[in-house]
Amino acid sequence: MHTDPADNGGLFVGRRPGTAPVHYRDTPERGSEKRQRVDGSIAGFLLAGMIFVSLLCWGPIPIACLWVGSEVNYLTGSVSFGILAAFAALFGLLFGALALLKRMDNAWILVRRAAGYDQRSGVMGRIFGITAFICAVVFAFWFLVIHGPGSTEISGGSHAQ
Amino acid sequence: MGLLDYYKQFEAMSEEEVNEGLREEAAERRRKALTKVETLDLSHTTWPELPHPRIVNAITFVARRGLHHYPYLRGTDLRNALAQLHKVDASRLVLGNGAAELLSSATRALIAPGQRLLTRWPSYPLYPLMARRAHGQAVPVEGGVEELIAAARQDPEVRAVALASPNDPTGELTTTADLERLLNGLPEGVVVLLDEALVDFADTQPADASLALLERHPRLLVFRSFSKAWGLAGLRVGYVIGAPGAGELLAELEPDLGVSELSQAGALEALHSCGEIIARRIAAIGEQRPLVTRALTEMGFEVGDSQANFLWAAHRTLSGAELAARLAQTGVLVAAGDALGEPNHVRIALRSQQASDRLLDAISKSL
Repeated sequence: MHTDPADNGGLFVGRRPGTAPVHYRDTPERGSEKRQRVDGSIAGFLLAGMIFVSLLCWGPIPIACLWVGSEVNYLTGSVSFGILAAFAALFGLLFGALALLKRMDNAWILVRRAAGYDQRSGVMGRIFGITAFICAVVFAFWFLVIHGPGSTEISGGSHAQ
Repeated sequence: MGLLDYYKQFEAMSEEEVNEGLREEAAERRRKALTKVETLDLSHTTWPELPHPRIVNAITFVARRGLHHYPYLRGTDLRNALAQLHKVDASRLVLGNGAAELLSSATRALIAPGQRLLTRWPSYPLYPLMARRAHGQAVPVEGGVEELIAAARQDPEVRAVALASPNDPTGELTTTADLERLLNGLPEGVVVLLDEALVDFADTQPADASLALLERHPRLLVFRSFSKAWGLAGLRVGYVIGAPGAGELLAELEPDLGVSELSQAGALEALHSCGEIIARRIAAIGEQRPLVTRALTEMGFEVGDSQANFLWAAHRTLSGAELAARLAQTGVLVAAGDALGEPNHVRIALRSQQASDRLLDAISKSL
């Protein structure tokens, strides 16, 4: 009979989930301090690139797709073809951008590790969420205040004379 | 290292890869554990099995009942049980912390400084030691009973003869006829300390045959032990049986405040519940002894006629130490004879059929 409360057969002993150390295939050979600083800078550039690509998803890409759709509509005279072309372009560009983001995120993790950080997960999800929030706020401001109905303060609105 | 290779080395293994590696490691550990061959230790004369759970329970029960009394106040259940077992009066039996302690006490009681203790050689290494501790001198005698009688008659300072039967390490049994001849031949005042720690394994005469001599020879003390066949060496329980009228000498051998109560409880429970187990052990030894003796003889060994749970063997060309070292490399341990008095011999303990097979296999590979 077990009387020792600590003798639990191995249950509840060990690390918390998600805190496992990173297992490398071989022990990496780290570069010099200078190279690690350079890698830190590269990681910063990659982060900026990811923010840029992420922002593209919330404005320029949809607008570009609408433009493509309107061009197809103009060239073919078919609204349906225009809509189809706009959606096709939207899916292609958005998934392409996401695939690119994923690759950049993986590269960012590796470069961060090379820079000496214990980087275990990527940052893509957070960037995508933050940029979505920023773009939503900007769009809401544009729609409600600059271009939206009821704007009498700023010229160029729907009620501008 | 290329630029991409430099960064690729920081790629982590996926969870599946990590788990696969861990599974392989676990499988490797299991495989090693299953294929690991435990060392077979045949260098000791004590029985290696764990004590019966009832013995452990009895000891635990006594411990829980309280250990604040001196054991001699607790009665003499073990003493009475042993007296009943050997069909002697309980007043002729004294318990001790192992037969070794009783033998040492007897030597101290019998030998004054400068006097001598005779012992055959090779024999149990404790005998010279206990003579030295009594400030006496141990005189090793090569040969049998006649040589012991002659040596005792030549030296008026001899006060005791320590005789192991069966003898450790040779396994030789001193028959009751030889013993009686020795007792009759020794000068007056010489006491025979008959160490029968291994007598349970003998099958050429009843285990209690020597006790019958006590009725006719008051200068005989018979020592028994729970350490060997009973496998309870850790309890340190032994006893000595003396002749009728030897109460004064026996009283001198008794430990001052008795034997540990836990040890008594374990030994008593062993007497009550382990008789069949001991009988099986003895039968196993009786079965293995001639088989291994024959096999060793066929391999070129000279093997003594043993009545103990071990064999005393010498190879024609290999020294005992060399053979023991070679066997140790195969995972079988035997006692080299140089520490036991005969450098050419090894003392090989007997166990089960499997142990004998492994021993003989190891020896055939080592020669």
